[in-house]
Amino acid sequence: MIKRMFERLFQSQVWRSMFRHGLPESNRTRAETVFYNFFLHVHPTKVRKRSIRFTYTWGLGGLSLGLFIVLTATGALLMLYYRPSVPQAYWDMKDLQFVVSSGQYLRNMHRWAAHAMVAVVFLHMLRVFYTGSYRSPKEFNWVIGVFLLVMTILLSYTGYLLPWDQLSFWGISVGTNMVRAVPFGMGETISFLLLGGNVVGENALIRFYVLHCFIVPVAAVILMGIHFWRVRKDGGV
Amino acid sequence: MNTGRTYFAIWSVALLVVLAISPLKDFFREWRWYQYEYNSLTSELPQRIKPADIGIKQIWARQLDRVDRCVTCHLGLKEKALSESRQPFRAHPQIHHEYEEFGCTICHEGQGPATTFEESVGRVEYWDKPIFPKDYMEASCGRCHKEPNVPQAPILTMGRKIIEESNCIGCHKLEGFDRQWVPSLDGIGSKVNRNWLVRWLKNPKSYFAKTRMPNFFLSDEEAHLLADFLMTFTSFPSNAHLEPIPEHLGAVSTSARDKLVELGSTRFREARCISCHPINGKGGYVATDLGKVASKVSPQWLYNYLKSPKRLQPGVEMPRYRLKENELVAVAAYIGSEFVDYEMEELPAQTPDPAYYEKGLALYKKYNCSGCHELGGMKKAEEMGPDLTTVGDKKLYEIDFGNVSIEHTLPLYLFTKLKDPRAFLASMKMPKYEFTDEESRAVAVALLGNTRDAIPVELKVFPKPPSTYSPQGEFGKLVDDLACFGCHTMFGRGRLVGTDLTRESSQAQSEWIKTYFKIPYSLRPILTERMPNLFLAESEIQVIVDYMERVFIVDSLAQGIHIVQTKVSEGRNLFFEKYGCQACHQVYLKGGYVGPALDKVGSRLKPGWIIHWLKNPQALNPESIEPNNNMTIAEVEAITAFLMSLK
Repeated sequence: MIKRMFERLFQSQVWRSMFRHGLPESNRTRAETVFYNFFLHVHPTKVRKRSIRFTYTWGLGGLSLGLFIVLTATGALLMLYYRPSVPQAYWDMKDLQFVVSSGQYLRNMHRWAAHAMVAVVFLHMLRVFYTGSYRSPKEFNWVIGVFLLVMTILLSYTGYLLPWDQLSFWGISVGTNMVRAVPFGMGETISFLLLGGNVVGENALIRFYVLHCFIVPVAAVILMGIHFWRVRKDGGV
Repeated sequence: MNTGRTYFAIWSVALLVVLAISPLKDFFREWRWYQYEYNSLTSELPQRIKPADIGIKQIWARQLDRVDRCVTCHLGLKEKALSESRQPFRAHPQIHHEYEEFGCTICHEGQGPATTFEESVGRVEYWDKPIFPKDYMEASCGRCHKEPNVPQAPILTMGRKIIEESNCIGCHKLEGFDRQWVPSLDGIGSKVNRNWLVRWLKNPKSYFAKTRMPNFFLSDEEAHLLADFLMTFTSFPSNAHLEPIPEHLGAVSTSARDKLVELGSTRFREARCISCHPINGKGGYVATDLGKVASKVSPQWLYNYLKSPKRLQPGVEMPRYRLKENELVAVAAYIGSEFVDYEMEELPAQTPDPAYYEKGLALYKKYNCSGCHELGGMKKAEEMGPDLTTVGDKKLYEIDFGNVSIEHTLPLYLFTKLKDPRAFLASMKMPKYEFTDEESRAVAVALLGNTRDAIPVELKVFPKPPSTYSPQGEFGKLVDDLACFGCHTMFGRGRLVGTDLTRESSQAQSEWIKTYFKIPYSLRPILTERMPNLFLAESEIQVIVDYMERVFIVDSLAQGIHIVQTKVSEGRNLFFEKYGCQACHQVYLKGGYVGPALDKVGSRLKPGWIIHWLKNPQALNPESIEPNNNMTIAEVEAITAFLMSLK
């Protein structure tokens, strides 16, 4: 009886409008399942068995994506409590600890996931290097990967200022002073652009907030799209 | 396949446990237990006390931009029934502010928004201002109350007084304190002997225990160099020089000298020198101790100084007594024969360092002597102590605690520094003031209130602007010459050792004032007699009385006064029977010792004053302890008639 119910469901108008192919029972329908699914379409139609061996990839790319999703989710929740302004930023951060339900948990999740992501992305790069996966025809994807590492570090660095405590203040002061050392007279300009001024103040805080919550994540998501697409087309997981 | 599922199951359960920890931790927060405890505690009390709603509570002090969540656990602050209860539920003692308006941390310090004990008390890493110890609580009053005298905060007031009297602003930058008068050192070489000066520089308090001059812990070598340097300054301010003692009064024979000393002793007593000057620690506290003064200054200087104090020491609050030449010599002779330090030994002779002047000057600058003293028109030295205008904000990492084993807090640092200024580092320059524990704490309290807190101006209390009263003409000259402001206040200016003279002529009759100048006496039997006999000339007394009749008078106090002679006996009855005034006041040589004697009050006070005083004593003197008896006008007039009959 259950089988009959499923059969009727699969033949219904609603189901057919969503899934245009039949159940993945033949090679053709298996391939169609992947082709016609938005979420699966980046997959290669066939994956070599040795490349899905866990000890070959260690799942580091997937872990990076997982951490990115954790960070996006916790980050979005933290944005509900955090105001990027000089008088409030520090106390909003403290209030997460003092009064917000599970606020400390949210903040810790975000913080540790951020640390872990930098480590995992770096390990991912090492793995790709040691398995020689940067070689032709994957040179372009290696370059995209390097950019993704830069995005990860930028996300980590821009988030560092947001608690607005002594550590963040001096961390960003030191960092932007290093930027000043860029030659050809560009250092001062870039530093000014980053801070929205000459010292770490309200303008720097709002700039780093926007970079951290919008500009860098969007750039990372776009790069990640290309990265994953290429991985799949080249027969990776 | 099965192992895969097992792993999956184990990981899922582990993840669930991890996810459950956070909400559980959230639920079992410290404050929640305190609130349950409060509710069970109050339900056992006989009084009805509203139970607390479970949840975080806070006070938002909007004007001060502070959020304090202390009330989450301190639930019984307003409940009188809990005044003996254990913390954190005890009721707050009565204070003069609503804590709901100002919050908690503006006074107590600590981390207001925190919701755990450790964090809110603030003795945690990265929190600079932990909760104030109880002894230092009044420091917070000083953040808003910038006036010198805060009656509700006696420790703060005491601290501010010590800071002012010790002339801390000689070396430190501080707001709201006036520079104290300190003797000029010009002419010191003609005034004191070197032997005394060396001892004084080594330890001023061994000569005069209550001197304001602190101990700089100079080495023997430094003291000698500085003394040699100072002894070179022999001419007084404005190039004044000592006049010789008139030779014919030099008293050659022993009997003549004895007579002179006797005359000096009499004048010394009549002038009531000990009203201001202590003698070996007994007597007044306004001026320096005279007990060993003959071993300090030369007789010639003494004679000149008594003759005209301000000529040798401009600005000094010593009156110029109207003594005749022979009396001046006599008093100087009396002091010279009586107040000798027989224990002072001669220092062994020493050849001065050839570079004593340069080295002495360097020491003078090093210890910033010109912060207090004037000498040779020298400018205030650059050698200043730290700016103390925001010392209450000093961060702990900015403080060097040296090897001293005290708890590392700002109040304790200041206390220790004041007790022993060189405790943290022996090479520091701050001198020792020999403060007691209580005094050190009071000064620390006064300093801790110097913060940069963003407090709205309308919440602050500022000191009243200083009085600009400055009498002119003949009277002005007399006030300056007799240093009246040293003891009396007039229109808000001057000290209050004696009485406030602002309304003196509304109060006292001119004839009585005149006789008072000739033989001053104390109106209250329990007070010591303080007002000196200045030996004023008739004409000078007349100038003073005339001025007082014109200026020290409030016309409204003399208007519409009816004294009916027939009411004297009624007044006597009211005085003795109904109000029992003799409990405090003496009449007919009988009665209490608290208030002024009223024996001859009819020739002392003006009737208008008596009437207004009886109606409401505190209207004329807010600090008077005379009760306000709410007498009827008829009663007031009758008592006044009776008092005016006592002549």
